[in-house]
Amino acid sequence: MAADATAPPQVQLRGLTKGYQEGEQFRTVLDDLNLTIAKGEMVVLLGRSGAGKSTLLNLISGIDRADSGEVILGDTNLTTQSEHARTLFRRKHVGFVFQSFNLIPTLTVEENILLPLELNQRSSSEDRERALHFLEEVGLRDRRSTFPDRLSGGEQQRVAIARALAHDPLLILADEPTGNLDYETGQQVLDVLDRLVRQAGRTMLVATHDHDLRAVADRVLFLQGGTLDVFDPSSVPASR
Amino acid sequence: MTPSLWRSSLRYLWRHPWLFGLSIVGVAMGVAMVVSIDLSNVSAQEAFELSAETVTGRATHQVRGAGEGLDEDVYRQLRVEHGIRPAAPVVEGHATVPDAGRTFQVLGIDPIAEGPFRSYASQDAGIALDVFMARGQTALIAEPVAQTLGRAPGDTLQVRIGGRDYALIIAGLLATDDERSRQALESVMVVDISTAQELFEMPGRLSRIDLIMDTDAERNRIEGLLPESARLDRSEARTETVEQMTRAFELNLQALSLLALVVGMFLIYNTMTFSVIQRRPLIGRLRALGVTRREIWRLILGEALLIGTLGTVVGLALGLVLAQGLVVLVTQTINDLYYVLTVRELTIDAWTLTKGALLGLGATLLATVWPAREATNAPASTVLQRSSAEASTRKAAPRLALGGLLLGLVGGGLLLIPGDSIALSYAALLLLIIGFSLLIPLVITRMAAGLRPVMDRLFGLIGRMAARGVVTTLSRTAVAIAALVVAVAATVGVGIMIDSFRSTVQVWLEGQLQADVYVQPPSLVFRQADATLDAGVVATFRAAEGVRDAHTVRSVHVETTHGRSELVAIEFGPATREAYRIKAGDPSVWDRLDSEPVVIVSEPYAYRHDVSVGDTIDIQTDEGTAPFEVGAVYFDYASDLGVITIGRPVYNQYFEDDAVSGLALYATEAQPVEGLVARLRTQVPEGQEVIVRSNQGLREASLEVFDRTFTVTVVLRLLAVLVAFVGVLSALMALQLERSRELAVLRANGMTPRQLWQYVTSQTGVMGLMAGLLAVPLGLILATVLVYVINRRSFGWTLQFNITPEILLQAVALALVAALLAGLYPSYKMAQANPADALREE
Repeated sequence: MAADATAPPQVQLRGLTKGYQEGEQFRTVLDDLNLTIAKGEMVVLLGRSGAGKSTLLNLISGIDRADSGEVILGDTNLTTQSEHARTLFRRKHVGFVFQSFNLIPTLTVEENILLPLELNQRSSSEDRERALHFLEEVGLRDRRSTFPDRLSGGEQQRVAIARALAHDPLLILADEPTGNLDYETGQQVLDVLDRLVRQAGRTMLVATHDHDLRAVADRVLFLQGGTLDVFDPSSVPASR
Repeated sequence: MTPSLWRSSLRYLWRHPWLFGLSIVGVAMGVAMVVSIDLSNVSAQEAFELSAETVTGRATHQVRGAGEGLDEDVYRQLRVEHGIRPAAPVVEGHATVPDAGRTFQVLGIDPIAEGPFRSYASQDAGIALDVFMARGQTALIAEPVAQTLGRAPGDTLQVRIGGRDYALIIAGLLATDDERSRQALESVMVVDISTAQELFEMPGRLSRIDLIMDTDAERNRIEGLLPESARLDRSEARTETVEQMTRAFELNLQALSLLALVVGMFLIYNTMTFSVIQRRPLIGRLRALGVTRREIWRLILGEALLIGTLGTVVGLALGLVLAQGLVVLVTQTINDLYYVLTVRELTIDAWTLTKGALLGLGATLLATVWPAREATNAPASTVLQRSSAEASTRKAAPRLALGGLLLGLVGGGLLLIPGDSIALSYAALLLLIIGFSLLIPLVITRMAAGLRPVMDRLFGLIGRMAARGVVTTLSRTAVAIAALVVAVAATVGVGIMIDSFRSTVQVWLEGQLQADVYVQPPSLVFRQADATLDAGVVATFRAAEGVRDAHTVRSVHVETTHGRSELVAIEFGPATREAYRIKAGDPSVWDRLDSEPVVIVSEPYAYRHDVSVGDTIDIQTDEGTAPFEVGAVYFDYASDLGVITIGRPVYNQYFEDDAVSGLALYATEAQPVEGLVARLRTQVPEGQEVIVRSNQGLREASLEVFDRTFTVTVVLRLLAVLVAFVGVLSALMALQLERSRELAVLRANGMTPRQLWQYVTSQTGVMGLMAGLLAVPLGLILATVLVYVINRRSFGWTLQFNITPEILLQAVALALVAALLAGLYPSYKMAQANPADALREE
């Protein structure tokens, strides 16, 4: 499913600024950023290590708060929300895929996937079946009772993708989803991510420094010096 | 909260059995100590109340005499001349039955007058009066006691009173339907009033007259009929006075057990902080997934509740077992110091168990609040990074230290507030402990820097890494070391307090015991001379060959302005004067003591009753109530209840009492003391047991009793040592087990199992050493507060602070040995494990 240009934007960033105190100095990581992501769009965010990709993801998900500017997801302006409200919003509308998988080691694969539903108090058999369907889609239904430490890196990341989609979020944020995987496994994970997200018609923002991800993107953003440059996937300069 | 979150939490605990198990042990031991001490105190109290209730019966008031007795003529006048009824005469005391190795409360009564008071001892209970009253010396004992002793009515029972043996004929058996009285009766022996007067050498005298009255008018009338030397009291007043005697003792035991709980709390705090810090990344993941702060908070508190519940259940069970042993020690101490008490069984008090449960759960939850707050308050973005935790702890160290100093100052300030509140003293102590703990992160950072070159020289790179590692994981090590410091310091504080007490008593005894030989009848309460010496024995010993000089001691209990007090009458000679170390007062007091109504009081008496030199104490004497001026306050460690000392000539003016409770003899220059002791022993008349001891013998016996009375404190200290040991072990072991990934990296880089062992044990060793060294100053602070503030506020004693190097060395060794042991299992485990497993991502 492609991006829906007629629908209202799913993500809007307006004048977003964020910096950190480092010793005596204040370092601005994001400087007056403006961005709009349409519903169903898959955006890849490129940038070197330390460029502020994770910071941007944390601001969009409401984990962190901007120094100034606004983050609007769907109809909700996260900037005006309390920490508690942002957390509740995140659990309902945001799915996360991390570089280091971040599965809950004390829960089985199935329990990990059902966790977002439980947090949202959605326990209908339909919801559960839907969530487990994603597990089947990532090819790990037979490992549903296994604990994460018994899975390979690629398998863990596939579980994380299924978990991110399980509660039908507005937006999926992926932070270096292939960063901890070998090339081949990374490609497989990428295929799964691309297929499932597009099948489900979800909006996704992937932060990475892996240029291969351009291949699945509708749009490529490049973060450097606190500002964003926007590129068509086919026209990203190799130097970036 | 979702079931998955709970499941995740339970599985975390299950996967860390050592941490889980040891934290349960921490709570359990704290609860066990509090519960066992409380149960022992309650059992002793219950036994006393039961016995008091049984021997008081339905009497509402009692008439008592000025000193050790009341003229029986007072009873005759009240009952016969003034028709006061119901009224019953009582002579009471204690007797041991050597065959049974037990002490009984002897109640001398008139069975005809007893009916309204104690049904079990009256005519109505079916006592055969012809046998009981007419057959010479007879006694009634409870049926179960007769069975245990294998005696039946008509048999003879050998009893010993004040060192003399008597044969009593069992005239019948005591029985009652009331379960409470039945238990109490097992420690009671009833005899006829005239028999009791013979047994206790109280011819023509009574211990008291029991009365039942309803109105103030009756009371006023009876008071008007009594002679000057007698007074009328409520029956409960006496019981309350006796109960008050042990209050400070019980309070201190409770406080000591609470100190163990505080140590336990630090261990729980350590466990929970550790488990929170270890799960920072996990908490970060959950927060990123949308788990709210409140849910994380509930999750951590839920875990604490589980640990607290399990620990409390185990602690209550352990407390019951421990109480069986402690009640014996507590009873022994009460018997040595205060009054005769027999505790037949442990009283399982529901309130004690509830209190223990509430304390266990409350302490666990309280200790968890801070770690839970830390887990929930950190922003999700920083919780995802471990390095930020360490950086922020290092940054916070100076601020924490400042906070610690301020808390310490507040604690010190509380101690300076005048008054005698023991609770306030313990609150101040707690603030000092917490304040000191907050200094620890900063101090160990400095200590590690100092230790690095030493460790480098000793163990090279591994030593350097070990010292540095303490600081790089400061968020975990600081908490663990703080917990250990508190645990070990508690043992140091209590140890120094006991030693200071003992050495003070030792020095005092050396000064106090000026005579060469001491003679006294055996006493059921060591620190009370409640029996008298035969006049013949006194005369014989005074005139014995080799005796240069002698003085007598008479100890009685009298009613004073400050309630019932011990009054000791002494023949003051030059040597006896030397025995007293005056704390306040004019040295000329000695000259006045033999001729004027002047007394000197012991330090605890002055403290308890706020009496100082120049004040007046009204003492009820056989001549009526008379004022006595306090001429001096002297140091004395024999009784925490306090003593009033009077010159014997003055005592004789006011009391019709020639009896002697003890005799001190001075040998001639040529007479070896041991020879004199041996010779005097041969001169003791048949039928009376008299204890003749040399100066050294009495000193040893006194210290033996001192040690015995402190056994319960020593046991508590040992238990605190055990808690500390478990604490060191659990904290450091958990820390090392959690580092398995880091250790696997070292193994992967070529570190041999032996080197790994060296690395782990040298790091736990460094931490143990730091904890041991830091426990010394905190232990000294605790000891100072215990010796100078809490002990003084509880008992009024001035103690000489005595630091025994062994106790300090023991503290450092305790921490170090436990720390080294704690390193064994993790290094063994890692040496055995395949590093590849540990290197795998979770």
